[in-house]
Amino acid sequence: MQRNRPPSPQTVNVLKALAADPARWRYGYDLVSEVNLKSGSLYPILVRLADRGLLETSWEPGVGSRPPRHLYRLTGAGREFVAALSAARRDRGAARPHRRLSEA
Amino acid sequence: MPFFIVFLVTPIAVAVALYRRNPRRFLDGPSEDAPLRLLGWAVSLLSPQRAEWGQAMLGELGHLDGRLRRMRFALGCAGAALVLPPWGRAAAGLWAMIGLTAASFTLFAGLTAGYRLGAGDWIALAVVGIICVGYLLGASVLLRRPGVALPGLLGGVFATVAGLGMSGFTAVDQVTFIPDPWQQWVRVIAVPAAIGAAGTLWGRDPAAGRHVARLAALSAGLLQLLYATVAVAILGGGGPPDQDGGFTVRGTVSDRLGNNIVDLVVSTLIIAMVGWAGAALAGYLVRRKPAPAVPLATRPVQEA
Repeated sequence: MQRNRPPSPQTVNVLKALAADPARWRYGYDLVSEVNLKSGSLYPILVRLADRGLLETSWEPGVGSRPPRHLYRLTGAGREFVAALSAARRDRGAARPHRRLSEA
Repeated sequence: MPFFIVFLVTPIAVAVALYRRNPRRFLDGPSEDAPLRLLGWAVSLLSPQRAEWGQAMLGELGHLDGRLRRMRFALGCAGAALVLPPWGRAAAGLWAMIGLTAASFTLFAGLTAGYRLGAGDWIALAVVGIICVGYLLGASVLLRRPGVALPGLLGGVFATVAGLGMSGFTAVDQVTFIPDPWQQWVRVIAVPAAIGAAGTLWGRDPAAGRHVARLAALSAGLLQLLYATVAVAILGGGGPPDQDGGFTVRGTVSDRLGNNIVDLVVSTLIIAMVGWAGAALAGYLVRRKPAPAVPLATRPVQEA
């Protein structure tokens, strides 16, 4: 059974980094540097996103002695998920000051 | 005598085996750098469903330069690979071993606190904790290897039951048992070698036999620790007097708990080392058997 937990802040950061230029394929280490995550945290996040169909992967052929490299970008469902996430955050942000006023 | 043989001969046998496996690597050292070897090892533990992610980590490492950068990346990825699900049946084995270890450690700590033992015994408790964590880490790695979990855990149970069968199952037997020479040969040589050989035959590979022997050693060590600690809890300072005598109740309990730590380490090392030798010997004998003749009609060239 798949649990429907809200994504962690680290996952949201990875999603935002991927959504910044959704058509572009990204390398794992680029995401590590951009999101300032450790590789041990990034890869489990990428695995979960791919399992949920939010991330697509591809391989870049190796050059010379360098091995092939894995590439990542959001799927259509991934882009919709990020859009929905951003909208939900905006709504919450808009509701919070109102509630504070009413609490006051 | 068997202890002497095992601890004297094993390091020499390990060195010879490593040399025979790859003479150049034995003399010149590994050709790959440490981050690549570390990550390669961790990735080999991933389940087949996650193999592509292991290759992704290795591929990314192949494009990184700088020793520190590579090592940081490899360490993070290795940590992720070690815990990345799915674990399959290995998870059940690991939970069983965690339960076993937690029970032993809690009982050990309870006896140390209950009998108000001294600072040395609290240090011994810390040592037991460190050893147990190390055993669990080692077991978690071995349990994930395909075809190792079940024979390894069964091997651990077999070694424990064989040991108890010779010493006797009561609490008094645990603190007074002094093996006869033939029992020593069975415990130290025959049982561990049988586990290693059975592991090789089960997995049809000497490497699998070695892994089975290691897992059996860890699980047998933890099982024996639990049984022996329960025996100390039952007897306390009572039971038959110790041979060296003159102890207070606290001294007797402390001495018996100390013996348990020594038994834990020694029995684990013995089973792992002699099991390794048994696995290697079984692999050698299996390889020497001539392969069955293949009928001509089944050869692909003939069919073509």
